[in-house]
Amino acid sequence: MCDKHNGNCFEYVDSGIPKVALNCIVNREEVHTTVDPTMTLLQFLTTELKLFGTKEGCGEGECGACTIIMNGKTVNSCIVLAIEAEGADILTVEGLGRNNELSILQQEFIANDALQCGFCTPGMLMSARELLDRNNDPSDEEIKEALAGNFCRCTGYFPIIDAVKKAAKREREELK
Amino acid sequence: MLSKFDYFKPQTLDEALTYLESNPGTRIFAGGTDLMIVLRRDMEIIDHILDIKGISELGHIDYKSGEGLFIGAAVTVNEVCFSDIIREKYPALGQAADTVASYQLRNRATLVGNICNASPGADLSSPLLVYNAKVHIAGPKGKRIVDIDKFFTGVKRTVLEKNEIVTGVSLPDVQAGDMSVYKKQARIKGHDLGIAGVSIRITSNKEVFVAMSAVAPTPIRLAKVEEAIATKELTPETAAWLSTEVRKHISPISDVRSSAEYRLHISGILAKKGLLQLIEKGVN
Repeated sequence: MCDKHNGNCFEYVDSGIPKVALNCIVNREEVHTTVDPTMTLLQFLTTELKLFGTKEGCGEGECGACTIIMNGKTVNSCIVLAIEAEGADILTVEGLGRNNELSILQQEFIANDALQCGFCTPGMLMSARELLDRNNDPSDEEIKEALAGNFCRCTGYFPIIDAVKKAAKREREELK
Repeated sequence: MLSKFDYFKPQTLDEALTYLESNPGTRIFAGGTDLMIVLRRDMEIIDHILDIKGISELGHIDYKSGEGLFIGAAVTVNEVCFSDIIREKYPALGQAADTVASYQLRNRATLVGNICNASPGADLSSPLLVYNAKVHIAGPKGKRIVDIDKFFTGVKRTVLEKNEIVTGVSLPDVQAGDMSVYKKQARIKGHDLGIAGVSIRITSNKEVFVAMSAVAPTPIRLAKVEEAIATKELTPETAAWLSTEVRKHISPISDVRSSAEYRLHISGILAKKGLLQLIEKGVN
């Protein structure tokens, strides 16, 4: 239990029970380590790997801020145990761009003002990435369905839908 | 979280059953969309977690013509959504799966977890009820099969013993012309728990099945309504009759999502809409 925030936060506190092996791939790099079995995947990504892009919102799988891609499928990493990632291939927002360049999807989020405070953006990007991986020309309805588990409280969702549509179009044209 | 649990992920059902038998209080973990909340809110202190996702025989959807459909305990809701055979043969099940939570939760949540959690509002319960699904259970004494309408015993309670695991559910094969539909009312269009859910199925020989969720302590088949409807022609008038009739056979409560009065009201509407939709598809 966290004593800094009256026990009312999701900060990771070591349970003291023996750690278990964890081998996985995160953003195309192999990770070999040990983890506390009670640690969530989100806590592992942020506290152990220092990948702070993935955010914790509600901590209960409702808001989607912690969405990452695990074995090609989006999951809410706040309600996945780190040890479940044994053997998994994980992609976080840090892995979207390559060679210091933002991905097309990220570029379109910026170009379309699809973020304001930016807290929901990593989760939005991962949900949108998985959608485009299985559907390279989604309709507005399909985008809404794919992003229904990602809450934004600033921009309204229309710029986000525009950004995903434009990214899909660019990806079809540029990534042949 | 306060729980300091031991996590075990076996490759075989036997290993899982042995672990369950020797570690009382073990909680079975599939998608974790309910159990992780329990852990994170410290609602229960859990000492042992048995992750069944490593057991390969639980991870499949199998359909055999003449035998029917089997959905393993580790099959996710999205796998149900994306199953062509379920879409074709068991439409209400696919439609109900579409309404479960959000896309990324459906990537984790399992169909069997939805029924084992045994919420009165379990979205996937009513389609299983109208198809007379059977719940396959493995335990130290071997396997047993329980009819889905005998599986739920109360709010969050089932017939499952502490040392047993649900390995999957099976649905009998359907004949050509078998139709079904699922209707759910929620507060918002996005992801939300249902205020009420209704499944209606009409078999190829015009037998009608009606089941509902979130309107009684457990998901229920409306057997009396089914008996009464058997004497009627399947017409829009019968759909209107069904709308008032279902309200006599359910016992909804008021909660944060809806008043009991609204649940009664909307249950009738959903049942009527569902039956009308099937009639329009050409049942007569």
